[in-house]
Amino acid sequence: MIMSEPIPIVDPTTPAGMLEIDLVKQARKGDFSAYDELVKRYQQRIYATIYHMTANHEDANDLAQESFIKAFQALPSFKGGSTFYTWLYRIAVNKTINFLKQRKNRQHMSLNDLDFNAEHDPDLMALISDKTPVREVGLTELQQKLNEALLKLSEPHRMVVVLHDVQGVSHDEIAEMMDCNIGTVRSRLFYARQQLQGFLAEYINPA
Amino acid sequence: MNKSENNFKDLRQLLKLKQHEVPPPGYFNNFSDQVIARLQSGEGRGAETISERLSVQAPWLAWLLQLFEAKPGVIGGFATSLVLLLVIGVIVSERPDSMPNNILTATTDSPSVTSLAAVAPSDLGAGGGIVASTNPVTSLQPVSTLFGQPSGSPLFQSASFSTSGN
Repeated sequence: MIMSEPIPIVDPTTPAGMLEIDLVKQARKGDFSAYDELVKRYQQRIYATIYHMTANHEDANDLAQESFIKAFQALPSFKGGSTFYTWLYRIAVNKTINFLKQRKNRQHMSLNDLDFNAEHDPDLMALISDKTPVREVGLTELQQKLNEALLKLSEPHRMVVVLHDVQGVSHDEIAEMMDCNIGTVRSRLFYARQQLQGFLAEYINPA
Repeated sequence: MNKSENNFKDLRQLLKLKQHEVPPPGYFNNFSDQVIARLQSGEGRGAETISERLSVQAPWLAWLLQLFEAKPGVIGGFATSLVLLLVIGVIVSERPDSMPNNILTATTDSPSVTSLAAVAPSDLGAGGGIVASTNPVTSLQPVSTLFGQPSGSPLFQSASFSTSGN
């Protein structure tokens, strides 16, 4: 007998049940519980984007918190021309790029652990067992090399790869987040992938 | 674009590894609490830098500044074009033919300074305005008074002051 989990009933009058637009309106009035809900909705995506850009958990933690704080302070200037999510991303993207420019030559990695599912991802397993010349390479080493290669890219190129290939954000949304046109996004993505392929040739080219 | 996607198939598979990187367990449990606590303590209020404010309110200006930072040659070109504009502006403004014509015509048509000085104060009448100044007269345009336009000429009189004894 299969026991199904009870579906949680969301009360639309509580922050958890409110629409994003209503939460933003409440937060603009200084309602911290509404903003708390907005933070909860986007914390993972914002943190992940910054983490993949910096390859450093502590930096990502600080920058993610600062991005949310800055967004709250800037809420009065949010005109609603884009979604709150895109606008928040833009703040995080700018903050991260500014941070990386300042610490240009002081990059050190502090990588997060891989989750349990990584060892069971068929794509990754196929990549390691079939294509890698160094057969005994482990996922941790691959993770290290991948992050090193990403850090060699310029900030705008890295951002496009992270947003599109890692986070799955569309070209249109990236263009809006990075305040550039869609052609620029496509060309940056192509160039960044080409560079990454060169840096990681040992690990992805057929033996 | 599909061809391009196929070219990078292996790379994209490898990039999937990034999706498996996760922060320490329970990390997000109190993340929002930390953000709200910092907001409630008033941290960061007014600590916004100019560049941060620009990036949100005037992204085009932030972009221009970033361009200057990234390519110093651009700022050189920008400064040169500004200086050129300034020089051209100065040259154009100092050309003699750019002087207003009415000044020249007014000077030739008006009575000489000596004849103006010879006019007795009583001749000016109640309607005539007397403009006395120690500065040279540069314009002979009619001056309106509280009682309307003065009739007749001269409208201006140069005044000279002399001290006796010294």
